Amino acid sequence: MNEKISSILKTVEKPGRYSGGEYGAILKDKNAVKARFAFCFPDTYEIGMSNLGMRILYGCLNKEPDIWCERVFAPWVDMQEKMRTFDVPLWAHESGDPVKDFDIVGITLQYEMCYTTVLRVLQLSKIPLLAADRGEEDPIIVGGGPCAYNPEPVADFFDCFSIGEGEDNLVEFTKLYIRMKEEGRYTREAFLHEAAATIKGIYVPSLYDVSYNDDGTIAAITPKFDDVPKQVEKCIIADMDQAYFPENVVMPYIEAVHDRIMLEVYRGCIRGCRFCQAGMIYRPVREKSHEVLNKQARCLYDNTGYEEISLTSLSISDYTELEPLTRELLEWTDPNMVSLSLPSLRVDSFSRELMDRIASVRTSSLTFAPEAGTQRLRDVINKNVREEDLMRAVNVAFSGGKTNVKLYFMNGLPTETSEDIEGIATLAQRVVHEYYQNKERPKGCSPQVTISVSCFIPKPFTPFQWEAQDTMEMLKEKQEYLREKVTDRKVRYTHHDARVSHIEAVLARGNRKLGKALLLAAEEGFCFDAWDEFFDYDKWLSVFERTGIDPAFFANRQMGLDEVLPWDVIDCGVSKEFFKRERARAYAEATTPNCREKCAGCGANRLGGVRTCCPSGGAEK
Amino acid sequence: MKNNDVKFTLPMLAEPRTVRLRFRKVDNLQYISHLDLQRTFNRVLVRAGLPLWYTKGFNPHIKMVFGMPLPVGSESECEMLDIRIEREMSEAEIKERLNRELTDELLVLDVYVPSEKFTAIAYAEYEYTIVTTGADAALAEQVEKALVGGNLTVTKKSKSGEKEISLSEYIHSAEVTFDAGVIAIRAKLSAAEGKYISPEALITALRRETGILTGDPTSEHYRILRCRALLADAQTEFR
Repeated sequence: MNEKISSILKTVEKPGRYSGGEYGAILKDKNAVKARFAFCFPDTYEIGMSNLGMRILYGCLNKEPDIWCERVFAPWVDMQEKMRTFDVPLWAHESGDPVKDFDIVGITLQYEMCYTTVLRVLQLSKIPLLAADRGEEDPIIVGGGPCAYNPEPVADFFDCFSIGEGEDNLVEFTKLYIRMKEEGRYTREAFLHEAAATIKGIYVPSLYDVSYNDDGTIAAITPKFDDVPKQVEKCIIADMDQAYFPENVVMPYIEAVHDRIMLEVYRGCIRGCRFCQAGMIYRPVREKSHEVLNKQARCLYDNTGYEEISLTSLSISDYTELEPLTRELLEWTDPNMVSLSLPSLRVDSFSRELMDRIASVRTSSLTFAPEAGTQRLRDVINKNVREEDLMRAVNVAFSGGKTNVKLYFMNGLPTETSEDIEGIATLAQRVVHEYYQNKERPKGCSPQVTISVSCFIPKPFTPFQWEAQDTMEMLKEKQEYLREKVTDRKVRYTHHDARVSHIEAVLARGNRKLGKALLLAAEEGFCFDAWDEFFDYDKWLSVFERTGIDPAFFANRQMGLDEVLPWDVIDCGVSKEFFKRERARAYAEATTPNCREKCAGCGANRLGGVRTCCPSGGAEK
Repeated sequence: MKNNDVKFTLPMLAEPRTVRLRFRKVDNLQYISHLDLQRTFNRVLVRAGLPLWYTKGFNPHIKMVFGMPLPVGSESECEMLDIRIEREMSEAEIKERLNRELTDELLVLDVYVPSEKFTAIAYAEYEYTIVTTGADAALAEQVEKALVGGNLTVTKKSKSGEKEISLSEYIHSAEVTFDAGVIAIRAKLSAAEGKYISPEALITALRRETGILTGDPTSEHYRILRCRALLADAQTEFR
C-alpha cells in the first residue's frame, strides 16, 4: 500500500476494504512474472470476497509461475470521491499498482445490475471505456461469469469474453498473450483474433458484424473472418474431482457477506425449472465424489479455521452422495465445533434427519422456494414440487422446533392468472394452519410465515427466453392484489422492486444497441445500481430515451421463436430446440422429469463430463 | 496437508490455563477494526490447532479477552490477548503454531502465562511520526509547547452527549524531536480503565491547535505506534 493511499485510508469508511495484507494473499515479484492479471469483481470488497468463482480463478492463475493474478474491487463512493479529488487511479489489491498498468483485466459479470459499476471501475482505472478507443498500451479487458452468456449489451466495453468455466480457459488465454509478446508478434488486434480462432470459449465482439431488420430485431450475426467461430461454445471442466481446487484461500479481515467455507459439491442442476438460467447454463451435471469433498473440506478447515461449512450447489439435496458426505463430515466437524449449512433445500427431499445434521438447527427459520402459488403454475414452470411436499417439509420443520418459515415466489410468470396469485396467499395461510395442527409444534409460540415475491425476468438460455415480461403496471397491480389477499398477521408479505426487475430484464435480453445507453449512464455517474440506495428508475428511463432505446422492446416484447436472438452467437451447450420443446410443454402445463429420472435430450451431454447423469456421447443436435 | 486433530491427543490440564499473547498490529493491519480482529483471531487460533477451551453453554465459543483498545489507524507492538487452553501445550509451541498462520503485520511476539490482569495497565507509550506541510524546528517546538504545559482540549463523545475535555491531564509526558523533515513525538498517555485516551485524540488536538496535518492528505501523513504498556509508575513494562 503506498503512502499516498495510506493517509486517505484514515478518512474513509471501513478502510479494511482497501488495505489488503490478508493471510493467504499471493505476492509475487512483478519483474519475475510475464503477465499481470487483474481480476476484478465489480462490487464492494465484502461482496467480491464472497464469490467462490473469483477465489478459484485467483488460485488457478497464480499456480502458474509466469502469471501474477491480483484482485480488484469497486471502491465505495466515499473512496471514489477521494480518488477523484486527489487524482489517485484505481489500484490492485495486492501490489497497490495501478490497474491500468496490468496486461489483462478480467471482470466477472455476476448480475446485470453491476454493469454501471463495471464502467465506473474502468473510469477510475483511467482505461478508455470503449474497446475501440483502447491503444496498444492499455490492458486487454476480458469479461466472464453468468452474464457473459448474453454479452451483447456490454460488448462495446470488452475486448473479449471468456464463456463458461474459466479454470483452464483463462490460463490458456493468458499463456497465449505471453507467447505472442515473447515472439514479438503481439498487437491487440492480432492477439484477439488468434485467441478467438484458437481458444475455445473466447468471444471477441469486434470480430462479428451485427445487422438489423427494419423492426429493430437482428438480421444476422456474422464473423468477419473464416477462422472465427460462428458460435462460441462454452468451456467446462469435465471431471470435477480433478478440477483445480484452492487449498489455500485468502482470509478477509473484514467480514465478507459469505464468510465461511464454501464447498462446491457439484456443477449443474438436474431439475430444469423453466425460468432458471443457472439450471441451464451450468449443464451438464458433474458431481464431485464424497471422498474428494471430505478431503477438500478438511483441508480448507485446517487452512482457514472457519466455523461453518456451506455445501454449495444449485440444489444440494439432489447430490447423490449427500448421505455419506454429511456422515463423513460430521465425524470431524462435530468434535471441532464446526457447523454445516445447506443453502439450497428442496421441499421434496427435506427430512428430519437432514435438518438435524445442518447448522440451521440453531436458527428458528427455514426457507423454501415453491416459486408459484398453484399446482398448475408450478407445472408450467416445471418446479416439480407438490403442495403435499411443502406441507410435509414445514411439518418436519415445526416438529423440529422451528416457528419461522420463509417462502419464495415469483410474480409475472408466463400464463399467470389472478388465481395463481391468490394461491400464494392461500398456500401461506395453509402453512400457518399446518402449524396449529401440528401437535409437536413449539409450545407457546406463534408462527411467522414470510412470503417473499420477486418479479419474473425472462433470461437468455431458458425455455422462457422468448417471453414478455409483465409491464410495470401489471406487476404493481399483481403485487397490490396479493397484498389484499394476505389478511393474516402471521403472514408477512414482501416483494421486490418491480422497477429494478424491469431494468434487469432490459439488460439481460439486450443487444449491442444498449451500449450507447450504458455509455451515457456512465457519463452521468451511474454506479452501484445493484444497491437500492443508488438505483434511480427515472434516470434509467431518461438515459434510454435520450439514446433512442425503447426498454419495452427488450423487456416486454414476446420475441419470435425464429428471431435471431442477441445471444445466439453463444452456445451454452443446451440446444435451442430443447428450449422450444420445453416452452411448448410449459404452455401445455406438462412437466418434464428431472435429468436423473429420464434424459430430456437438452444436448449438454455432448460437452462430456464425468460423474454425470447424462447418457454419454453426442445424443442430439 | 496438515490435520489439526493432533490437539485431541494432548494430555488434559486439571484446570483450563490462561495464556497471554503479545502481538504486533502494524501497517495494513492498522485499518482492521476491533470486531474484525476478534473474528480473525478466532480463526487463527483454530487453524493453528491449539487445544482451546470452549465455553460450556448452548452456543460453545472460544474465550478471548483483549487488552487496551486500539483505534483504527493506529499501529502497535504491544497488543495483548488472553486465551484459554484445556490441554498441555508449551508457550513456545503455541507461538510457533500461531505465527505459521499469521503475516508479518500481525505477528505474535511473545506467549506467556500472565501474572497480572489488564487492569494493572496505567499508561501506554506511543511514537508519533508526522510528515506535514511546513514542518521545521519551530513547528516542532510549537507542538512540544502545546503538549507540555499547554492547554490542549478535545471533544469527547459519550452517552450524555459531547463535551470538551482537557487533554493535558491524560498526557503523562511527551518529547518532541525534529529530524529530516519529520516531527517525532514520544508520549506516555493515560491508559487505565476509565481513564483511557485514544492516541488519535492527540493528533486531533494538535491539528486544531497548531495546524499540522491540515493540508493535502496525499503529501501529508502520520503514523501512531503504541510501543509499550506501562504500570502505575509509568516506567515498568506491563506483561
